[in-house]
Amino acid sequence: MSAQNMHIDSYERNWMIFSFILLAVFASAIAVAAFGMEIQVPAPEERVDPGTVATDPNSPWSNPGLREIAPGKYDAYILARAVPQWEYLPKEITVPVGSRVTFYVTSPDVQHGFKIQDTNANFMVLPGQVSKLTVTFDKPGAYNFICTEFCGAGHGVMYGAVIVTP
Amino acid sequence: MKQYQVSAAEKKFIGSHILVAVLALAVGSLFGPLQAFEHAGWDFYVYLKPLIKSYYQGLTVHGVLNALVWTTFFIMGFLTFNVIFGLKRPLKNPVLNKVGFWMMVVGVVVAAIPILANEATVLFTFYPPLKANWAFYVGLTLVVVGSWVEGWGLFMTYADWRKENKNERTPFIAFASLVTVLLWQICTLGVAVEILTMLLPWSLGLIEGVDPQLARTYFWFTGHPLVYFWLLPAYISWYAMLPKQAGGGKMFSDTLARLAFWIFLVLSTPLGFHHQYVDPGVPPAWKFIHAILTFGVFFPSMMTAFTVIASLEYGARKNGGKGALGWIGKLNWSDPSVASQLLAGILFFFGGIGGLANASYNVNLVLHNTAFVPGHFHLTVATAVTLSFTGISYWLVPYLTGRKLWQPKWATIQAWVWFVGMIVFSNSMHVLGLLGAPRRVPLNLAPYVPAEWNSRLFQVGLGGAILFVSGLIYLVVIYKTATNKERVETEVEVPIAESMQDPDSGPIWLDRWSPWVYGALALIVIVYGPVLFDLIKNIALTSPGFRVW
Amino acid sequence: MAKKDKEDNEFRPTGTVTVLVIFVITLIAIWGTIYMILVGRGGTL
Repeated sequence: MSAQNMHIDSYERNWMIFSFILLAVFASAIAVAAFGMEIQVPAPEERVDPGTVATDPNSPWSNPGLREIAPGKYDAYILARAVPQWEYLPKEITVPVGSRVTFYVTSPDVQHGFKIQDTNANFMVLPGQVSKLTVTFDKPGAYNFICTEFCGAGHGVMYGAVIVTP
Repeated sequence: MKQYQVSAAEKKFIGSHILVAVLALAVGSLFGPLQAFEHAGWDFYVYLKPLIKSYYQGLTVHGVLNALVWTTFFIMGFLTFNVIFGLKRPLKNPVLNKVGFWMMVVGVVVAAIPILANEATVLFTFYPPLKANWAFYVGLTLVVVGSWVEGWGLFMTYADWRKENKNERTPFIAFASLVTVLLWQICTLGVAVEILTMLLPWSLGLIEGVDPQLARTYFWFTGHPLVYFWLLPAYISWYAMLPKQAGGGKMFSDTLARLAFWIFLVLSTPLGFHHQYVDPGVPPAWKFIHAILTFGVFFPSMMTAFTVIASLEYGARKNGGKGALGWIGKLNWSDPSVASQLLAGILFFFGGIGGLANASYNVNLVLHNTAFVPGHFHLTVATAVTLSFTGISYWLVPYLTGRKLWQPKWATIQAWVWFVGMIVFSNSMHVLGLLGAPRRVPLNLAPYVPAEWNSRLFQVGLGGAILFVSGLIYLVVIYKTATNKERVETEVEVPIAESMQDPDSGPIWLDRWSPWVYGALALIVIVYGPVLFDLIKNIALTSPGFRVW
Repeated sequence: MAKKDKEDNEFRPTGTVTVLVIFVITLIAIWGTIYMILVGRGGTL
């Protein structure tokens, strides 16, 4: 075997260069959406003890629901659970149109998902972790949030809704 | 020139892999359409109640048997063949390979028992704290370790060959198969650690709880390279066998094909976070780095597309193919093995596009855990890979058994029916996902399904029905072939395309293992190390098990 | 041998380029569509 240079057909070389540019363009588009339009994926927020997160009086999820923190700005603490039945607590929250809602979701039992239809809020919910994303609701209507990770027999019926009033 | 003779015992050994694989495919594929039918409103699970308790138990059977057992057994059989035939020498230590094979078989049986008893309805991702019976984890461990042992047998065979052929270029099919095996050995460390340090002791009651975020991170260390473990054997066939089968094609670029396999080895593992973009416990900066590396591993697939298509075009033009696209008609479409793999390749274009979208960082917010995802991987593992493997079996089974392929026309029809069924099924799944439909849900029963999804849900069921027909045809053809009284006159010729360039003319670093292996390991340490270190340092074994299915 | 090499060297994979151009156009169209859905659904921070 002799050491020789790599021979690459000119068409194929151009194809490789083009592929590289194409992927670079896609990567740039993603970066623009992430850093220019604030469309971001979840970041580590807080770790909790799944054994006590739903019952400890100091835990916001012992009393899940909506808190108004400033005019038009809300924090929504939501518990996703499979025991004793498959549900989100609370099942429904209501906010006026234009509200900016930050969701803090965790699970006291198995893994769940949380996806608010027609928004970019879509994340995993893990016991021991808090998942956080923010959504601004610019149009009135009912936005279902649904469970997107298999969590047992009742997975398919697990959902809730954000009601956005005009 | 007479081709290298694989011994009868080795043919039988390779054939045993294919047999187990096809049995798994047969059972697993029974349950695939049931999911699709449910979506369309035809629920057959009510009739299966005494045996199969739920949609999810059926989905677990389908996922484990089709995605894990069918693939792993077919792949280990095919790669074993490639190493023996490529290096033109018998296995160094056939007993070792047999031990590996039987560990895998025992593993499948041990895992199947709790699955069938509804004690392991955890789907093929088995995310804790859903807690299966311990036998499920023992079975999976045996399958993985068995595949390692078989891999060691192949490496030992290669080491002997290398000793006797110090300055030879490794024949391509053997080289690419060994890279695939090595990739598998590296990446399965993740799931091995997950099972041995957490899930198994936990299921045995030795530890109280697990850390779900850490478990997911271990799982996806293995989970994405698993995809390449499925895909690369199909690539081997597309690169080195299909051009010959399709008529006079030659490998357009042997050197780039080898380079592509090395890039797969280096880049397949350090990008698992692209399955965890929306996990709460992984920092976005690392997710972004894994996104860029995922784009990097798209690159060798782009190279593969060019080389494979050019190899096919070369043969087609020699056979009189004309025009910008007209040459495609000159490929040997009447050979069922060719038709299967060409159709697999066509749908793989769309699988690649969907995969790139899934991997595109925040774009995953639109797609994560929606029906888009199973829509996507039914184009990849269930078509690019599976339709290629069934296509390979159309020459490999006659080669191994010495029996003629039964009714080649039906084999060709089978491939086309799969192609059509998959377009119907997969297209509707992708669209449903974009509309917001979740995966892994019996959507016919879900209370939040809007009426606008209904026509698409019907198409899912229709596609499933067509795919079911194709699956039945395949099983009939392969059964009739394996028991065919009509024997082939001479041993089936193994299709190996020659290379357009002299393989020896490539640079020497394409035949050096250590830089690539160390490079792969170093990159894994760099892009997994900090996050894994942090997760392990802060490990919280606070999740007890749940059986809520 | 010399003739064969010449034949191989004269082969220009124009059909391959055609297939790949179609692929890339499809890729950009589908990826772009999903990207626009993402942008349309708004920020998350």
